[in-house]
Amino acid sequence: MLPFRKTLQRWLLSRLPLERGGRLGQRRIYLLPTRFGLLLLLVALAVWVGALNYAVSLAYALAFWIIGLMLVAVLMAYRQLSGLNWTALPGEGVFVGQSADCRIQLDNDSALARRLQWRAGQGREPLSCLLAAGSSQTMALPLLLAHRGRHAYPAVQLWSTAPFGLMRAFAWLRPDGHVLAYPLPMPDRERNDLHSEQGSGRQSGDDEEDFSHLAEYRQGDTPRQIAWSVLARRDVLVSKRFASQPRGQSIRQLAWQDYPAAVDMESRLSRLCWRVQQCEKAGQHYRLHLPGVLIEPQPQQRELALAALAEFKLPS
Amino acid sequence: MIKSLLRQGEMAVLLALVLVILPLLLFLPPWLPLLVLSMLALRAALLRRQAAMPSLYLLLPLLLLAVGGLWLSLNTLVGREGGAALLILLLGFKSFESRQQRDWQVLLALGFFLAAMPLLFDQSPLAAVWLAISLLALTWAMLILSGEMVEGSLRSAMQALALSLPLMLVLFVVMPRLPGPLWSMPHDQHVASTGLSDSMEPGSISQLVQQQEPAFSVVFAGQAPAVSEMYWRIMIFDDFDGRRWQNVRGLSSETVQWQGGRLVSYSLTGKPSKSRLPLLEYTVTAPAGGVLEPGNLFKLARDGDELFRFQAQSLLAAHYRTVLSPADQDFYRHLPPGNPASRQLAQQWRAQGGDGAGFVRTALQYFHLDGFAYTLKPPLLNSEDGIDEFMFSSRQGFCEHYASALAFMARAAGLPARIVTGYQGGQFNPVGQFWQVKSSDAHAWVEIWLAETGEWLRVDPTAAVAPNRVAQGVSQSIPAMQPQLPGLGRSVPAWVLRVQQNWQAAGFAWQQWVVGYDAGRQLNLYRWLGLGEQVDSAAVLRAVLLGGGLACLPLLLLWRRQHSVSPLQQGRHRLVQVLAALKIVVVDSDGPLDILNKARRLPESDYRQLKALLKEYAAMRYRQPAGAQQVKQWLRRVKAFQPGRQ
Repeated sequence: MLPFRKTLQRWLLSRLPLERGGRLGQRRIYLLPTRFGLLLLLVALAVWVGALNYAVSLAYALAFWIIGLMLVAVLMAYRQLSGLNWTALPGEGVFVGQSADCRIQLDNDSALARRLQWRAGQGREPLSCLLAAGSSQTMALPLLLAHRGRHAYPAVQLWSTAPFGLMRAFAWLRPDGHVLAYPLPMPDRERNDLHSEQGSGRQSGDDEEDFSHLAEYRQGDTPRQIAWSVLARRDVLVSKRFASQPRGQSIRQLAWQDYPAAVDMESRLSRLCWRVQQCEKAGQHYRLHLPGVLIEPQPQQRELALAALAEFKLPS
Repeated sequence: MIKSLLRQGEMAVLLALVLVILPLLLFLPPWLPLLVLSMLALRAALLRRQAAMPSLYLLLPLLLLAVGGLWLSLNTLVGREGGAALLILLLGFKSFESRQQRDWQVLLALGFFLAAMPLLFDQSPLAAVWLAISLLALTWAMLILSGEMVEGSLRSAMQALALSLPLMLVLFVVMPRLPGPLWSMPHDQHVASTGLSDSMEPGSISQLVQQQEPAFSVVFAGQAPAVSEMYWRIMIFDDFDGRRWQNVRGLSSETVQWQGGRLVSYSLTGKPSKSRLPLLEYTVTAPAGGVLEPGNLFKLARDGDELFRFQAQSLLAAHYRTVLSPADQDFYRHLPPGNPASRQLAQQWRAQGGDGAGFVRTALQYFHLDGFAYTLKPPLLNSEDGIDEFMFSSRQGFCEHYASALAFMARAAGLPARIVTGYQGGQFNPVGQFWQVKSSDAHAWVEIWLAETGEWLRVDPTAAVAPNRVAQGVSQSIPAMQPQLPGLGRSVPAWVLRVQQNWQAAGFAWQQWVVGYDAGRQLNLYRWLGLGEQVDSAAVLRAVLLGGGLACLPLLLLWRRQHSVSPLQQGRHRLVQVLAALKIVVVDSDGPLDILNKARRLPESDYRQLKALLKEYAAMRYRQPAGAQQVKQWLRRVKAFQPGRQ
């Protein structure tokens, strides 16, 4: 391993623009012999020296044929990557500590089946995928998110040693995409009740205790309503129904200011996150109020609210 | 599925290796390739049944044993035969040591090297065909081994080889050849060389004459000399022991004065035998690549029996004048005792003829008129006085009998004389526009030194007995030979002759342009292309080395261990392989628990071992990074883990 390899790689990556997608061409594809390729080159050299020494004309032919094969291998390895279309798909957010998928779609519009391998970052195990002619496939790279916020997609190395294993064609992708790490939900039952009363002025109690019964799954039920344990045991899709179903106009206030000043930012966000989830689960309308951010009830409110929590920074 | 494909790849590698090794059966002691072939077969059987490999402690002594056997049967482990033998032996053992894809790739690369081995022994067109077949098999195996689908892979392999063919041809023509070897290798002693032997006794040449193998080929620049003028010198015999002629003297030097003669340029291609190649009588300057030895003989500077081509100029029918000291004259007059009748006759001729030239005339007349016959199957000469028996009773013989008898007579008459062996004549091939000389053209004649002119005079007694031999070749002069030598007699149909000539011409072209394509021919090509006089092998080599060095520079900077695999990953991979052998398929995304789950049907003890290993793996992988030492120990335990083995 070369000492300046990392530097070299960083330099290579810094040259690359962030892209939503693209088509791999000769500007992006690099080619190097593999260990096997080098070994075969060595063999060609040995045969050549032997031919030179023993004046064996046909051995020259063998040595040069091996060299020719190496060059053909270069072209064929190049062809494995050349013309491949890729698109960075938006990633789904997860809570801190979970692993999110960075998804990149590969479209092979050529008549050639491609045997690819890919890896994000150093030290990870390479994953392989076989792209049949004219097919598409989505590579999902699991990324463990250890802290809250926006995480950019890592640079991905895509390579192929097909068809001979003599040459390795590789390309670096810098997908322009990100996944969000939402704050880890932290139960805040007391405040949940209290503030709903204060905010809506109505009696409620919608959390897990309000679970009423199990019913057949209906289209539109959120994943959180599905009774996973039942699914696992009996292999039927069943949804949980809660006692208090969405209640008309009542809007619950989830606000930064609900907490005393001593509570630090991360715990506030975690608790708010938990409460957003509770509201979503119960179908309760809510309003998230953070300093400088206000999320009103609206379609896809959950995603917006969680994103706001994930990306929240105290205004300075 | 990937696993089963890889299995097929391994099978393909073994198959390709078998194909590569097969031709060596012809050139090595057969037990050796047979041993290696059966080892490969055994390996394939083990692979098929997924049985365990024999242990290293069994393999190593076996290897030593085999190498010992090799040493006993070849007496060497280096050189052409020893090297090839050792290499295939090591290959056989390496196959038992191959488990991972990387090992199989090493085997495959060795296979490519091995494909060059038969070429050291044979460079015929057949060898070239076999080379192409071997290459195809190896390339195909490479494809399958690297994970290509088996369907259509043969076509891909052919495609790749066809694509690389033009480049190969260009490199073959342009890539510089060196005029000499880089280092000299010990030569295999017991390889029988065809061609003339070291000594001459009755029967030694007539044996050769019955073979039809091409000895060498010649192209004349301009008008070719008459067939009767083509005397190709190879060796000189100067000592007679009563039956056999040998070369004992080896004159250290000789000053020759050439007189008269007609200049003829020719280029000759042939396989040297003991570093000797024929020269057309009399070639006055040494061709490049060798030296002229006294007696107007050509000796190559290098060893080996690789095809050699040279260009030379000869003075046809020149006078070969040289000074012989009295001691030398005595040496060339020396005879063992015996053959009294012949001695008496010789002295009688000398008295009749007066000078040397007169003696020669008388002698030739005697051979011409007195009932001598030219035959390939003379009666055996059994008596002590072989020359007497030939001269007075049997009177039937082949060129060696006549040469031997005349040289004896000359010496007995007090004239210095010696025997020259080589070839006489040749057949013109109108298709290829070259002259083919075959072993059937082997010949022996006499040189007598005439004191009056100081000249070695060529005297060919065979010409006196059977003039056709010299003018038209051996098949015309011995009627009994005609049925044995198809294609040389008059009765051969024209189409047979044509096919024969075409075949010879193809062989000649092959020799000239493929086997014999060397530094000289390359230089001619550079000149013909108009690259100028300065462009020679050395210049091209310099350019290639410099350019290649520059091209390799970034490679040197960039190359690194590709996908470096940590010991942990290595261990996991090994576990996955072991489980796969038991038909437990683990996919990339399986975590330790998934693996354990899938392996539940393992026997209790194996399962517990696996569980411990995976638990440790999970701890080192996910909980806290372990020290290198700990990982190493774990890896060792992983390697020791062999489920399903009692």
